[in-house]
Amino acid sequence: MSSILEEIETKIEGLKTSTTKSNVGVVRETGDGVARIEGLSDVMLNEMIEFPNGVFGLALNLEETEVGAILLGETTKVSEGDEVRTTGKLLQVPVGKALLGRVVNTIGQPLDGKGEIKTDSFYPLEKIAPGVIKRRSVSQPVQTGIMAIDAMIPIGRGQRELIIGDRATGKTTIAIDTIISQARLNKAGEKGEVKDYRPLYCIYVAVGQKNSNVARTLAVLEKEGAMPYTTIISAPASDTATNQYLAPFAGAAMGEWFMDNGMDALIIYDDLSKHAVAYRQVSLVLRRPSGREAYPGDVFYLHSRLLERSARVAEEFGGGSVTALPIIETQAGDVSAYIPTNVISITDGQIYLETDLFYQGIRPAISVGLSVSRVGSAAQIKAIKQVAGKVKLDLAQFRELAAFAQFGSDLDAATKARLDRGQRIVELFKQKQYNPIPVEEQVAVMWAMQNGYLDAVPVERVKEFQIKLQDYLQTRKESLLAAIRDKKQLDENIESQLRAALDEFKTTWR
Amino acid sequence: MKINKEIRRLSREMLRASFTDGQLDPGRIASLVDSLIARKPRNYIGVLKNYRRLLRIEVEKRRARIETASEVARETSSRLVANLKKKYGGDLTTEFVVNPQLLGGMRIRVGSDVWDGSVRDRLERLEQQL
Ligand SMILES: Nc1ncnc2c1ncn2[C@@H]1O[C@H](COP(=O)(O)OP(=O)(O)O)[C@@H](O)[C@H]1O
Ligand SMILES: [Mg+2]
Repeated sequence: MSSILEEIETKIEGLKTSTTKSNVGVVRETGDGVARIEGLSDVMLNEMIEFPNGVFGLALNLEETEVGAILLGETTKVSEGDEVRTTGKLLQVPVGKALLGRVVNTIGQPLDGKGEIKTDSFYPLEKIAPGVIKRRSVSQPVQTGIMAIDAMIPIGRGQRELIIGDRATGKTTIAIDTIISQARLNKAGEKGEVKDYRPLYCIYVAVGQKNSNVARTLAVLEKEGAMPYTTIISAPASDTATNQYLAPFAGAAMGEWFMDNGMDALIIYDDLSKHAVAYRQVSLVLRRPSGREAYPGDVFYLHSRLLERSARVAEEFGGGSVTALPIIETQAGDVSAYIPTNVISITDGQIYLETDLFYQGIRPAISVGLSVSRVGSAAQIKAIKQVAGKVKLDLAQFRELAAFAQFGSDLDAATKARLDRGQRIVELFKQKQYNPIPVEEQVAVMWAMQNGYLDAVPVERVKEFQIKLQDYLQTRKESLLAAIRDKKQLDENIESQLRAALDEFKTTWR
Repeated sequence: MKINKEIRRLSREMLRASFTDGQLDPGRIASLVDSLIARKPRNYIGVLKNYRRLLRIEVEKRRARIETASEVARETSSRLVANLKKKYGGDLTTEFVVNPQLLGGMRIRVGSDVWDGSVRDRLERLEQQL
């Protein structure tokens, strides 16, 4: 107790003698969550400025005699004539593991009623001097647990993979499944069930969504036990355009903390279309000039500097990573609109979801032809490569042939076999939501397909076969699954065990 | 008020022409305004308004407002004025204001620079620190 009193005493002593120099301005105009301020001759770009009543703002537009600032928090408390002062601080958010399990707003304040966030670390939203990150190429996988993705469009840690599609095509669901998959792996890793496992922490940034959607996502993640490894940053549609514009940068800052400390993080930006709209709104009230589709000219730079922050750093600098899964919502499948083309050109590939497929019951509705992952295959484990190496091609050929086969005509045996195989792959890749499949089970299932074990199964029962097979492997062949997981590749021994297991399973199947 | 590029450019030019020996010159300012009104170029009202605003900011840059919690002694104030003029130039105007809300000490503002040595400011900072 006495030491606290002494501390206060010295602080008071320190204050007695000091005079603070600050830089002030006067609010000339306010509205739409923005203030135009005269003065503030020394303000820095992105500096926090203080209004009366404890309201803060962010200086964005620095002009000769005026500063345009966006207000954070209670915008109604600011009025014309108010004095504003610089703080010398850049906008920052709390970072660190204390954020896991929490739902916060753009400036890192809790929204979940679970009390204050206890952390001593803060990061600025924008990297001040990014410097050259000692980057390393992608080589470790992000197991999404979604078979079609892990097999055909693999994602590596440090990669930026876009999820793109019209509304209600399952974009958010892919992101949630990926988070659930990480939580399961992290848990298994903690128990020592996965060799050399590096946990992957998730940050889900919800921009411009309905509150009810965010609540639903939270409920799913809680139910699936994923929240202990996850942070949700929520800037819903009811929030200010400013907060929606800044939320992804808050997510990036939180992710960077993991990377800087040698850990891995995955950030989902759901979605950058709404983010661009929020940015357009902010720019409009700041009276910035606009360009194509009325977006401000620097919207490309906005998204590139956000996604630029995902990387994997070299081992000697800690080996941490930030993986980004930005989401873009298209209108009527138009990927050539301004924002989609921008983000496509910034990312390392895209998972393209199609409404037609979705309504045909092919869910996740991934378009094989239009989806790519330019760097991820380097991160795929060998076992998946062994069983799925050809599957993308098989499937693409199947789509071609299927269109052709519709016109009747006699099919030769080889073509018929291809069609049969293709139909079964399509079935295998259908996957219920919130149901990630561990990579070792994916390997076993695809191995079974490759080795003809599904050929005799009627197409409409393929899914049933798969589920029962997974069940059987989980309950009866745990050590085989563990061997695939640990060795990460199929050798003769594992293959013969797989063969034995499938032969046994087949006798139970009817 | 929406200010377009032309208004901004013209009013800035007028401001630049408003000085004699680095000081605002009331005679020049008056003749600049008169000639603008005589010529009536496009948007000239907007130009005048913005020019007035720029002038006001210029004047504020050269005005020191000194707030103290209580009346200051003549000797202290003249020393203060001399020091400020040394720093900001001889055309600095000064204004003394008594503001009991400061509780003690003083606060000086010149343009957008503020030096705060008031008790109120110390208390506020203390509150933030604790
Ligand atoms: N693999 C799936 N299986 C079954 N239903 C799905 C699947 N993926 C998505 N859905 C359902 O489709 C709807 C839209 O999905 P959502 O992820 O919210 O789409 P988006 O984010 O593209 O708008 C939701 O009701 C979701 O439950
Ligand atoms: Mg969605």
